[in-house]
Amino acid sequence: MAVTYAGNEAHFGGIVGVEDAEALLAWLSEHPQATLDLADCTHIHAADLQVLMAAALTVAEWPHDAALAVWLKSALSRG
Amino acid sequence: MTPILQQFMTESRDFLQSIGENLLKLEKAPQDADLMSDLFRSVHTLKGNSGLFDFPEMSRVLHAAEDLMSVVRDGQLSFDRRLADRLLEAMDFVSLLLDELQGGASSSAEHAQASVRLAASLRELIVVRDATQQGSAEAASGHGGTAKPGVPLDRVPDALRASWGEAARAGAALHWIVYTPASDCFFKGEDPFHQVRQTPGIVWQSASAVESWPPLAELDPYHCVLRFDLVTAAPRTALDEHYRYVPEQVAIVPLTLEALNPEHRAAAPADGVAAVRATTVGSASQATPAGGVAASCVDAILAAQIVALGLPDAVAWLPGRLKAIAATLAACHRSRGQEDVLPALDAALALALASSSSQPLKEWLAAEGNSSPIASISPAPEAASTTGGDVPFGRRSDDALPATAVLKVDQEKVDRLMNLIGEMVVAKNGLPFLAARAETVYGVRELSREIKTQYAVINRIAEEMQDAIMQVRMMPVSSVFQRFPRLVRDISRKLGKEVLLTLEGEETEADKNIIEALAEPLIHIVRNSLDHGIETPEARRAAGKAVEGRLVIRASQDSGRVLIDISDDGKGIDPAVIKRKAYEKGIIDEAALERIGDQEAINLVFAAGFSTADTVSDLSGRGVGMDVVRNAVERVNGSVALTSDVGKGTRLRLSLPLSMAVTNVMVIESNKQIFGVPMDMVLETVRIPRSAIRSIKNRQTIVLRNRVLPLRSLNELLADDLPQVSNELDEMATLVVQIHGESLGIVVDDFREVVDIILKPLGGILNALPGYSGSALLGDGSVLMVLNPKELVTWQ
Repeated sequence: MAVTYAGNEAHFGGIVGVEDAEALLAWLSEHPQATLDLADCTHIHAADLQVLMAAALTVAEWPHDAALAVWLKSALSRG
Repeated sequence: MTPILQQFMTESRDFLQSIGENLLKLEKAPQDADLMSDLFRSVHTLKGNSGLFDFPEMSRVLHAAEDLMSVVRDGQLSFDRRLADRLLEAMDFVSLLLDELQGGASSSAEHAQASVRLAASLRELIVVRDATQQGSAEAASGHGGTAKPGVPLDRVPDALRASWGEAARAGAALHWIVYTPASDCFFKGEDPFHQVRQTPGIVWQSASAVESWPPLAELDPYHCVLRFDLVTAAPRTALDEHYRYVPEQVAIVPLTLEALNPEHRAAAPADGVAAVRATTVGSASQATPAGGVAASCVDAILAAQIVALGLPDAVAWLPGRLKAIAATLAACHRSRGQEDVLPALDAALALALASSSSQPLKEWLAAEGNSSPIASISPAPEAASTTGGDVPFGRRSDDALPATAVLKVDQEKVDRLMNLIGEMVVAKNGLPFLAARAETVYGVRELSREIKTQYAVINRIAEEMQDAIMQVRMMPVSSVFQRFPRLVRDISRKLGKEVLLTLEGEETEADKNIIEALAEPLIHIVRNSLDHGIETPEARRAAGKAVEGRLVIRASQDSGRVLIDISDDGKGIDPAVIKRKAYEKGIIDEAALERIGDQEAINLVFAAGFSTADTVSDLSGRGVGMDVVRNAVERVNGSVALTSDVGKGTRLRLSLPLSMAVTNVMVIESNKQIFGVPMDMVLETVRIPRSAIRSIKNRQTIVLRNRVLPLRSLNELLADDLPQVSNELDEMATLVVQIHGESLGIVVDDFREVVDIILKPLGGILNALPGYSGSALLGDGSVLMVLNPKELVTWQ
């Protein structure tokens, strides 16, 4: 499983596929104040991306993957 | 280029040809339903075929053409010249793509935009009709996919924009890409985010939603609402290539200097106007042909207005925008000398301002511009397509005709050529006779030698000709094999068995006649294998085998012959059962029942009238199985071998000549006549002393290398009473032949040479004559009768 949930934090590792989107959405609905740890993430599917964008969360750790980090910062940073 | 691609190219050209012809015919007879359905079928097939390959551009245009044809065929749209023009246009495009592929182009990505434009121009004809039916241009405009939003340069920080301006001034070609994935794209297995991340040369990027985000509870994660904006420094061709599968979801706009220049933007701060300018410049240079520059500029301006009208209405500066558009439109029409339309324009503007909507102006433009090309175009704000509709693709039938590399020739013509080459081979065989005559009859030795030299040259050319014509007639066995997956599936389903079919060596080639002769026996064999060989899943499980039976059909080439192996891992053939069945059916007698070995017993399945099945099914068991197979194979000089292990499986090997055009025969003499015997049946030739012949009962035999060899005399086989003639040492010339796996000595008068002949089957009344394979002409003009020893021996 590419996404692990611990307490109020979701940890993304490796490639997060399209099949994770539904579970992610369900979890985020229950944890509106959740924070994200994307440090080890290398790619997330567009379906996951739009869930994260819609949820407007706090990102604790941006990906080490620089290219992905630029994308996600532009998509997920508020304001 | 793979064979299947080669075939696709050839077929596609044929289709294009017939589509072109049908279109022209339809123009004269637009009501002809047959022509229409013929045309539709061609387009449909062509589209389907193109889908087998990685040619999205071709498929896209053909798909649109097919949709259009389908509407026309159903009578919802009448066939007219404009429609024919666009279809011809589309076919020219496909033809261009084919030419490029033929020329070695690996991809046609640079035509992605052209293909979108063509497809849109085709679909637009459908749309026009829909619009009149529904009375709403709006509904129709949604047909072509998602509307393209403008380029929101104002979302980019000024500093960044300025740096792009610097770059553009320095000559860098920047492109702004707006990628709005289709809302159902996740179900097609696409990952748009991955797609944009892989875009080459990204300078700036942003992801957003097409609409504002709904509350989480209402969000459907699998309904894509994403929109990606990015700026890249990659060349346009690379971008087209990258987005070639989704061009209708992508807008690629070149960022020009004035679009980036903040001063210009300050003068016109309306959203998207800068972008419109950018698109306009791009499309005008892209989509209009050389010539008529002034007119194309007006068109470009009008196109820009359509784009501007397509922008969202809910902005504070809408009245200003509407007024600006109306002013531009008025100027355009004035420049064309169409002042009389201006009052109507003013009225539309007033209405638009009153209703705070751009709709009245859109309608005016749509209604007004019927005289101008753009007017017929739906107000989809896609700059490229707005002028693309009637602009020819730039390829005409008077363009250089492509030279096709593949010819389609009637088989008759090839056969005639083959016969002529055969005659040539025979005629050249006359030269050695001539050389001999020159020496012996006329006594000119020099001439004889020269004729022989000349003969060597002609011989070499004739052999090459023969080889060349053989190549022409070669066909891969896949043409026969391709029906087996379906056949095996259907039969095994019917029998309740599970079978895994493996085909190997499909590219093996052989003469067309051989391949065709192969089809029927192979079907028999496969049916037999499925019916008698492979067990039911329960029986297999009980025997400790995999539930799924394996059937392997393998073709290979081996020294001038094609070998076809059909093996299964079924229950095999039990010799005991065969013997009993054969005895019951009277094929063998009681003595033979005891005597024959296992392999011989297995070969009994080839006997006529033999069947092991207890009940006759519609698959097999009528006793017309294996003997039919053997006869069919032997008719083309092939042979069948069957081996089987009880409980492990059965293996059949068909061995066939590569070609049957030229036969190698040995000429023999008997009773002052000459006959030919096919070389592939001759094992050896021996001269045996008359004293070595022993008579067992009334049969003659000889012990040859410690084996008893039965002897028959050819005169006897031909129902001649004369005894065979021996040579001066009292030795008998004996031809050892192989018949059904057994050796037999045929005693003749003398051996002659081995020759290549073109074997002609006996025709007409002689056709039914057994014992002869056919006849051939020899080099000296005499006729050689070619014997069929198998028939001769069994016929007795």
